[in-house]
Amino acid sequence: MFDFLQAVLDGILFGTTYSLIGIGFTLVFGVMHKINMAYAAASIGAAYLGLVTASVFKASSAWAVFGYSFVSGGVLGYFVYLICFHLIPLKNENATLMSTVGMLLLTDELISHATTGAPQNYPATLEDVMVRAGGLSVRGDLILVFCVSVACTAALLLLLYRTRLGLATRAVAQQPIAAQLCGIRVAQVNALTFVITGLLGGIAGALICSAVGSLSILLTGPLTVKGLIVTVIGGLGSVPGAIVAGLLVGGLENAFQHFRGVTERDMYVMLLLFAFLIFRPGGIFAKGRGRD
Amino acid sequence: MEFYYGLAQTIGIHTLLGLSAYIILLTGQMSMAQAAFYAIGAYASGMLTVLWGWHIVPAMFAGAGLGAAAAAAVGFPALRVKGLMLVIATLAFGEGVRLFFFNFDYQIQKGNVKVGPLGGEGFRQIRYFPENGWTSDQVMLFVWLFVILIMALLWWFDRSRYGSVLRAVGDDELAAQSVGINLTAVKVSAMTIGGAIAGLAGSLYAHYTTHIEHLAFGVLQSIFALAYPIIGGLASVFGTLAAVVFVQGILVEGLRFLGDWRNLLFGALIIVAMVVRPSGFLDAQMFRNFRRWFGAGRSDA
Repeated sequence: MFDFLQAVLDGILFGTTYSLIGIGFTLVFGVMHKINMAYAAASIGAAYLGLVTASVFKASSAWAVFGYSFVSGGVLGYFVYLICFHLIPLKNENATLMSTVGMLLLTDELISHATTGAPQNYPATLEDVMVRAGGLSVRGDLILVFCVSVACTAALLLLLYRTRLGLATRAVAQQPIAAQLCGIRVAQVNALTFVITGLLGGIAGALICSAVGSLSILLTGPLTVKGLIVTVIGGLGSVPGAIVAGLLVGGLENAFQHFRGVTERDMYVMLLLFAFLIFRPGGIFAKGRGRD
Repeated sequence: MEFYYGLAQTIGIHTLLGLSAYIILLTGQMSMAQAAFYAIGAYASGMLTVLWGWHIVPAMFAGAGLGAAAAAAVGFPALRVKGLMLVIATLAFGEGVRLFFFNFDYQIQKGNVKVGPLGGEGFRQIRYFPENGWTSDQVMLFVWLFVILIMALLWWFDRSRYGSVLRAVGDDELAAQSVGINLTAVKVSAMTIGGAIAGLAGSLYAHYTTHIEHLAFGVLQSIFALAYPIIGGLASVFGTLAAVVFVQGILVEGLRFLGDWRNLLFGALIIVAMVVRPSGFLDAQMFRNFRRWFGAGRSDA
């Protein structure tokens, strides 16, 4: 029983990274009604760029790598916006979605080319710390992942609900035309959304890589799928939903792994998604039918 | 010559895969699970011919039928909700199916070897064609027979009421709904036909390569399936064919000398194609131009 609780606890803590990725997907969806398929790949890309920049500046501490990943995440986010959304007419749904898929493949291949396909060691944080309570023990770096995720989410919610930029973002999300008529520069808000989600992705990428201990393009596929599942379970466009869904998926994933083994666990996560699609299509915090 | 037969078979199978995504795209939906239907068709027909000694044609139809059933099952809950939900649901479904085959063991003793799918090792020895003495040119003709059949079917759809309904839903859902078109029925039917075509392509693929494994049915394969019709354009089935010939014939085979760099090209090609021609290479305007150029030539003579 303790093993099981331990597994679920670890899963929930790791699930915060799914929440971060899910928030990135959901914010872009909320503001532009688009899915940015390249998001998880760009997050790992940012983590890699952070590693490279840190080694160029000879600052190999984990915190420096995190800082550089954060910044490169923002830059990459803007870059993705520029190429996949600015240059392509937004009305053309297929083209914008497909171009982000192209970006996903390109990012993957660029990383694999730069690293010659080998996993890169990623600096770990709080490696030796182990918190024990009752019979349960928790890895220090997972606690850090959890705390940083919570802090990022809090900062994001402050930004969204307490600043003028956040107001503009929510206005564009609700009614782009009305927002434009009120003098909000929609294109600028869209670009900023990408930069903000990119910054978030940079942090998420670095956290994930340091929790796993290495950086490899094998991470991007599962992260993309998990991030999107979290987005749907939380309700497309809902930030609180994505947070809760991330924890839920993380915890359940480890529970499935505990009972059915690692090769089968993701199958049950997919089944969970379908259960939500059928019984609760609007997500955890559904408020009736949204618009298409 | 063998090499060109092989290339023609690959192009044929990929054209079918692209067409399976094409009909779904006509309704304005994107399915990331084409590789899953392809896998279902491949495993099902392979098991039927190898384990139970069926003839290939009924096995292929069984594969197509199972692909169609899976597509309807995944399309129905997802299409009921929001358009973009389908992208995510099918992406997850595709990964789920791949993982299913990764865990799937079903082997029986045949002679002195064990045959059948074996988890991560895949399904070896799908030797229907060599066992029955088919030569590679016959296999190529067999593949292309189905390619032509499916292309003709979809080409005919475009000239029928059903095709107009598909495109009406794709162009403007609200307008289509307000003239009394049942959106869910149209989308799920397109999904089902797409699943059947992908299942058919999978059956051909399994028998052509003789060895299938879960890695061949990943997300990348689904992306290929979607990329062909989108790069080629949705104005006609020939756009998909042109894109497959370009990607498989020129990009994959013609640029072998680039080695690793070739992989970078595919992602970049998709982005460039979307920036330069967002509605595909052979779009409606291109077909109008063709008609004008060639039509004008005839009237002068």
